[in-house]
Amino acid sequence: MRFLKITKWELKNTLSSKKFITIIILQFGLLILMMSFFNMFIGSIESEDGISLSPSLSKFASIDVSDNNSFIITNLNKEVLDIRLVDYNNSLKRLRDGKTTAIIVSPENPREKIESFQTINIDLYINSEDPKQSVVLNEVNSTLEALSTSISDEWINSLIPPEKIVDPEVKEEKKGEFLPLQIIKKMMIAILLFLPLFLFGNMVVDSIVGEKERKTGEIIIAMPLSHSDIIMGKNLAIILIIALQTAIWIITLLIAGFNIKNPQLVYLIVLLTSVPIIGITSVIATYSKNYKEAEIGLSLVYIIMVGFLIIPALAYISTRSLSSNISPMTLVMRIFSGEAISGVDFIIPIFSILMVSLISFWTSIKLFKRDDMVFGPRPNLIRIIMDFLGIKKREFK
Amino acid sequence: MIKISSLSKYFGKIHALDNLDLEINKGELLGIIGPNGAGKTTAIRIICGILKPDSGDVVVNGYSVLKDPIMVKSMIGYLPEEPNLYERFKARDLLRYFGELYGVPKDNLNNRINELLELVGMENRAEHRINTFSKGLRQRIAIARALIHDPQIIIFDEPTMGLDPATSLAIRGFIENLKGEKTIVLCTHYMDEADTLCDRVAILNGGKVRDMGTPEYLKAKIHGDIILEIKIQNQNIDTEKIHSLSSVESVNLNGKNLSISLSSKQEISDILRLIGNNMISINTKEPSLEDVFIHSIK
Repeated sequence: MRFLKITKWELKNTLSSKKFITIIILQFGLLILMMSFFNMFIGSIESEDGISLSPSLSKFASIDVSDNNSFIITNLNKEVLDIRLVDYNNSLKRLRDGKTTAIIVSPENPREKIESFQTINIDLYINSEDPKQSVVLNEVNSTLEALSTSISDEWINSLIPPEKIVDPEVKEEKKGEFLPLQIIKKMMIAILLFLPLFLFGNMVVDSIVGEKERKTGEIIIAMPLSHSDIIMGKNLAIILIIALQTAIWIITLLIAGFNIKNPQLVYLIVLLTSVPIIGITSVIATYSKNYKEAEIGLSLVYIIMVGFLIIPALAYISTRSLSSNISPMTLVMRIFSGEAISGVDFIIPIFSILMVSLISFWTSIKLFKRDDMVFGPRPNLIRIIMDFLGIKKREFK
Repeated sequence: MIKISSLSKYFGKIHALDNLDLEINKGELLGIIGPNGAGKTTAIRIICGILKPDSGDVVVNGYSVLKDPIMVKSMIGYLPEEPNLYERFKARDLLRYFGELYGVPKDNLNNRINELLELVGMENRAEHRINTFSKGLRQRIAIARALIHDPQIIIFDEPTMGLDPATSLAIRGFIENLKGEKTIVLCTHYMDEADTLCDRVAILNGGKVRDMGTPEYLKAKIHGDIILEIKIQNQNIDTEKIHSLSSVESVNLNGKNLSISLSSKQEISDILRLIGNNMISINTKEPSLEDVFIHSIK
């Protein structure tokens, strides 16, 4: 339990450090900012206008309409089409000059003709060189189709005596939220909860690489402590800080009105996830010669780790595949959904957490035990892997 | 107390220690001198359990550094060459931190800290942060740190390197006070420091002990040598002719300083005749540890 002494002092120093307090305040600010952004985003989705990530099609293409009886013009989509009511001759000139994409010509007295079962022709002239022609064509087709359906319904209804017309029994049942909205909400809360795990990488780097850069590693190794005491003591301190940070974030989210089902279980899963992340960070820190190298390594590895957390969670939403459970984020998302989770469901994520943690901490300790990692000259990665595999035996006493 | 047997260590292709054998007795102050890259720091890092040897072993008070590194480490107080300390700490907190890690009982720790702060003359800087200290003050607090657990063995690696004469003198004073009470290994570049402080001196070069003994013994080994230090007016001297004299072992002309090493006094008058009026002054010099050192690493 000697490593606990290191943990105690690392914690004491970190929690009393002005730099750490500043980081915590900034992170808290980030959480508040993200929550506001998140609320705005959800608000926009839930509003009638909705939110569109595609570019606006407002008045995208222009169309001239020759329609004395307002047969078609009222049904055209004014959002997409810039509609002008002009006479036929004038429109032809505009079409030739490229000032409009198309002309639509409605026949005289179309309703009367329909009622007397005559065929009516609607002429559409399109500038085939205009790339917007397909949009116009689609819009006109949709309009005519809608118009045709409306006229047919009207005619059918006119054949039925009014007393026999009954309104269909339509019962709107709202069950939960709109699916994409549910996914976005759960995903965003999950991301907010897992975010603190990636905010403390620099502290691990500072704690381990700092010993090399400041050359204090020598005196710490000279202490009556094993290499594993040093690595575990330092990393445990960071995990405890993450535990504190995650607890604060969950409480803040709950106070802010976010719905987190079973927060204690979620907290435990997030905290357990921090162990392999800190383990992998520790491997990078132990291997790195300096801060710069560690930060480059950390950026690359964190991208992979974020992918490892998020991609299976997304895969689970779409396929419900059991293998997606490898990511603890999937488990958290399932808890958010109120799914009944059995003990078996915990096996895969817990096993993956355990394995990655064991391998990463073992590697980190093995690396730290090597003289060349602390005092140099550092061997290349292939040499280290070969040593680990025992291809050319090197003693780690 | 400390027995080093057949110690070898490689750094890549560099052979830092080559089957080093050394014994250090209880209560002794052993000096290790040697040129840069001789293997001094590597040897003491292995004794302290910081580095692992490629072969050989170090046994401290019956405990092998390979088999019982924690036990060995707990018996040693180590002052590295650079007093790299945790900048964020206040002096007192630094000592408390190391005291706890060394397992100093809590009841004794405060007293021990006060004692050490007084010993290194830093009782009024106890609440100051390390990053406000000069190199001399850092070295003082580093010495206190190395002594926090009252170790049986203390290893100093270049303790006065880069310090002003007054601080160096004070540090030598601390070491002198510990002499006899503790087993001390002093690694130094300063020959006068080794000469004054050490009971025995080991001369290390190429990862091996080239010579070892008390300073007096080592000096006596080359006592036959008489060194003439002659100041001359110009370099118009026939050094080859001087060298051809049977008792002359070496002739070094450095600017207007001529140094001649002789095995006997008989031919001094011949030498003076050869130099003639070119001579300004002449001195005979007793061999120093520096001469022994130069002689050993030749």
